[in-house]
Amino acid sequence: MTQNAGKGFGTGEKSIINVMHDPENNSNRDTFSSAKVFFHVDMDAFYASVEQSDNPEYRGKPVIIGASPGKRGVVSACSYEARKFGIHSAMPISQAYARCRNGIYLPVRMKRYQEISRQIMEIFDDFTPEVLQISIDEAFLNMTGTEKLFGSPTEAAEKIKLTIKEKTNLNTSIGIAHNKFLAKLASDHDKPDGLYEVQKGYEIDFLNSIKLGDLWGLGKKTLILLENINITTVQELRAVKLRDLKHITGNSSGEFLFNIVRGVDPGIYSGKIKKPSVSNEITFEEDTENSELIKLTILELAHKIFFRILESGEKGRTVQLKLRFTDFTTVTIRETLEYSVNSGEELYKLAVKLLEKKWDGLTAVRLIGLGLSSLESNKTPDQIELFPNTYDQARKVEQVVLDIKKRGSKLTKASLLKHTRDDS
Amino acid sequence: MKFTCHKNVILKEISIAQDIISSRNSLSILSNVLLEAEDGTLKIKATDLKVSFETQIPVDVSQAGSTTVFCDKLLGILRSLPEGDVEFNLTNDRLLINPVFGKINFQLKSIGSEKFPEIKEIEDDKYFELPQQSFIDMISQTIFSVSDDETRYFMNGVYLEHQEGSLSMVATDGRRLSFIKKELHNEINDFEAVIIPTKILHLLKKLSSGEGNLYLAVSEKNIFVKFDNQKISSNLIEGQFPNYSRVIPEHQEFNIVVSKKDLIEALRRVSLLVEQKSRRIYLTFATGTITLNSEESEIGVAKEEISCDYEGDGLTVALNYLYLLEPLKVIEEEEITIKFTESNKAISIISVPEKDYFHIVMPMQLD
Repeated sequence: MTQNAGKGFGTGEKSIINVMHDPENNSNRDTFSSAKVFFHVDMDAFYASVEQSDNPEYRGKPVIIGASPGKRGVVSACSYEARKFGIHSAMPISQAYARCRNGIYLPVRMKRYQEISRQIMEIFDDFTPEVLQISIDEAFLNMTGTEKLFGSPTEAAEKIKLTIKEKTNLNTSIGIAHNKFLAKLASDHDKPDGLYEVQKGYEIDFLNSIKLGDLWGLGKKTLILLENINITTVQELRAVKLRDLKHITGNSSGEFLFNIVRGVDPGIYSGKIKKPSVSNEITFEEDTENSELIKLTILELAHKIFFRILESGEKGRTVQLKLRFTDFTTVTIRETLEYSVNSGEELYKLAVKLLEKKWDGLTAVRLIGLGLSSLESNKTPDQIELFPNTYDQARKVEQVVLDIKKRGSKLTKASLLKHTRDDS
Repeated sequence: MKFTCHKNVILKEISIAQDIISSRNSLSILSNVLLEAEDGTLKIKATDLKVSFETQIPVDVSQAGSTTVFCDKLLGILRSLPEGDVEFNLTNDRLLINPVFGKINFQLKSIGSEKFPEIKEIEDDKYFELPQQSFIDMISQTIFSVSDDETRYFMNGVYLEHQEGSLSMVATDGRRLSFIKKELHNEINDFEAVIIPTKILHLLKKLSSGEGNLYLAVSEKNIFVKFDNQKISSNLIEGQFPNYSRVIPEHQEFNIVVSKKDLIEALRRVSLLVEQKSRRIYLTFATGTITLNSEESEIGVAKEEISCDYEGDGLTVALNYLYLLEPLKVIEEEEITIKFTESNKAISIISVPEKDYFHIVMPMQLD
């Protein structure tokens, strides 16, 4: 395990790294001069800002995007003005409405956001060849070695922010650091319209300023686990020995936590990190016992998930289905296969089998979630099949579809067409 | 209903009945065993609606009748009783179980036998005869290759096919395949090829004495087997079995003859350090030797060389070691031939001298 350390370890820190590296040692600092520079660019309240930019009359007002009030559903995004009312994404729309009756409630216009998103990504391409888009409104830019072209990292970031503002009228927050993990945390630091650089040598100070729950990759369950043993700050977490961390949270989580509190990138968005699962869920606008609709929804989820799986170059063996019924009782059922799921089509069939085990066909269903876990890299040894595998062929077709989609075209499985909603 | 018989005679049959009964359906008629006493015979029936079992044992009947009781408890009671004769007496919907000697009294509540599901039957003239041992051999050579992946349900059973004067069985999980064909001298009633679930086959293997003949009948949806005093039937798996004949290599480039025992022992040793998820082991064939080795891992590495009869260039294949070990365990001969062409093509495992069966294994990616 390599540790990037520098001056500025928290006072009184007694970690292994301090022993390995003298924080004041210049030669150690030198190792950073060749260090990489990553930007994490994050659009501020992206959907809402696009709406406000397209409709000047919405500016300065609480804009809430998602389901319309009175209907079932959740907030997809909201403007900073709306956040002042305590509204946040994933909040049930009824709650949002209770908090802010005068808000502007808008439907999701995914196509428009995607259009703007593409414009922004094109801007990035002018600054570096290495752009890693991680969602509609976020990307990592590898800006290593661009000083001669755009000046210091801060200067380059200013230029990017300005260009985006000029071309789209949107605000951006950029975090700069020598690894992606820190850059992502840094972009949140001065949000909105922020720009923050984690200086070499000051990683630990920066991390100490962050709330434990805001650390990327630290989930609620882990947080509770840590709180139970009175660990509530990054400093306190850093003081725990690796061995003990592994004991408390499990081997891989322990190592993950040990790394991140030291500013070591655990490998986010580089395929190195083992994500536990890929999943997705949909709440029906109205509870339904229509088995066609339920299966179509599963089909849609299966394809969404599988495209994500293909994109990350992984494969998974555990299929899990979550059902929430009209009375809010929630069941999950999972099945682990001996081999990995080969295609969205196969994932769908497996999910329908699970559905048949847990659903009586009569009770109205409120929400469906589908997930694929036990993920591993696609490169693990593969058993050659005796018979030409139909699912193998399906996987190849889906890979081609994915490639086409990546180039910007929209392709949808025919049976999903009538069911396709604006957000797909 | 009232009858008396020796504890051990009925215990054996009730324990088979319990094997068939689905343990999940506790306290329904399906967890009960049917007892029917008449003319000096006790008929015992059990079913999970897919597999059904019926047997007859001689008992001393003093009053004819029938009933059903919770099989699991009946088995427990019988196991616990001392050696000797036991009297069974149905009064007021309770089956009283009293050893003839001793003051033990069990009462099991019963459900009327009219509630018991009807067990499918087939006309006697549909049955044909074949040696028990032949059929058991066929099961043994194939059953381990069946897939337990429910999404490939059509591979969850053994494929039974009738050709002119012979029966063949095939099993595959899509990565390996086992095949056996028995020439039969009796006349066989023709039937369409079927996929038989493993439960009945395991049961046949367990119950068959291997002596004498058994009687087999195949209908569109069921298979029926009679032997000794027992009748077993099962539903069939509906679906299309893969076109297996297409994947049987017609010609393979290289032949390697090796001692089965040497190979099994080497596999057992080297597999200790094989990564247990992929079970990938490497075999390198060179003139006079096979080298088996595991991948280098955090734990370590294993390597073993055994001698064989082969002349040719070094060639390495990777495969799931269980796919090699399982056929070796059922091959009776002392030597085997491994046939192969390339590292990504099917490998055949054949006994020396060649018998009426063979096994095919697909290798794994080399790296």
